[in-house]
Amino acid sequence: MVLTMSNPTPLSRRPASAVEVPSRNPLIALFALLLAAGVFFVTPAYSQDAGTEGDGAFAAVRKEEFKSLDQEVQALKKEVLDLNRDLFILEEELLFPANTQVAIFVSMDVGTFFKLDSVQIKLNNKEVSNYLYTDREADALLRGGVHRVFLGNLKVGEHELVAFFTGQGTHTRDYRRGATLEFEKGVGAKYVELKISDLERKQQPEFIVKEWE
Amino acid sequence: MNMRAIYLCGLLLTLPALVTGASASLDGQAAPDFVLKSLTGSNLRLSEYRGDVVMINFWATWCGRCRTEMPLLDEMYDRYRKVGFTLLGVNIDDDRRRAAEMAQTLGLKFPVLFDESKKVSRMYDVDDMPVTLLIDRSGVVRYVNNGFPPGSEEAYVDKIRTLLRE
Repeated sequence: MVLTMSNPTPLSRRPASAVEVPSRNPLIALFALLLAAGVFFVTPAYSQDAGTEGDGAFAAVRKEEFKSLDQEVQALKKEVLDLNRDLFILEEELLFPANTQVAIFVSMDVGTFFKLDSVQIKLNNKEVSNYLYTDREADALLRGGVHRVFLGNLKVGEHELVAFFTGQGTHTRDYRRGATLEFEKGVGAKYVELKISDLERKQQPEFIVKEWE
Repeated sequence: MNMRAIYLCGLLLTLPALVTGASASLDGQAAPDFVLKSLTGSNLRLSEYRGDVVMINFWATWCGRCRTEMPLLDEMYDRYRKVGFTLLGVNIDDDRRRAAEMAQTLGLKFPVLFDESKKVSRMYDVDDMPVTLLIDRSGVVRYVNNGFPPGSEEAYVDKIRTLLRE
């Protein structure tokens, strides 16, 4: 038996396609070292201690946050209400500036001889207000309340106010009376009061229209 | 199928959706305040009923459905008035005498108000008869019903009870 050994191909004769593979051990070692270093240096940002102490602190922080948020909301609500009020006042000042403003008020004194039902107001022959009074509102007037029945603007000069009072007089008789006032509107607001009072002497109601100075 | 029939069917199906009633736009809004003279002679203002559940029913003497509805509403008023419910019947006839006569014939117990000038019915965009609104204790319109279709009475009672419980 003859054994033959094939001669290994010399390096110079190895085909070009053959790839020279260097030793992989140093590369693997380097990679492992880098991985370990990464794990070592990238530490968690906070401690992950389990247990009730951490949870309790966290809950307390959240509670504080809610409390401050609630306070902020309340403050915001208050600001909105204040703003709403300021806007309302501004709107009134814009629509009814003091120099042209006219306000008419209704008041009652005693009220034995007259039960107020409605008041109609005409300024310069033009109806500006027609107000129906409920029992509660009439009662409020009797108790000393004053009702601003009209608020408007008038130019400077002569004007005529006519007020009609409708209600029930003595013996539940229907009653309708008028009162007239001619006044001069100057610079500045004008306030007029329509007063209903009892005239004991005549056992009848009296309707007075007067200007506030 | 005939095209005309198809169009007609389509129109009939969509018509109820188109006719929604303008007062439905008040749903969820504050009920506009008003004051009207009542059958008893006193003036009644809506805002004075704040705190009660209020039903406003717009009606007219020439409205057949109103005549059917009124006795049922009266019964409802009688049942729930003691627990904070009020019903205001607003009549829109040009002549209040006819309305007063009808109210007395029907023996209505709830307040009947007269809106001859149609000021309040315009405020509430009433364009159908009858129109019924339910207002909660805070003065907000919570339910609007145009007409009086079958089942309305049960719906009213249901809504009233819900609002009373609030």
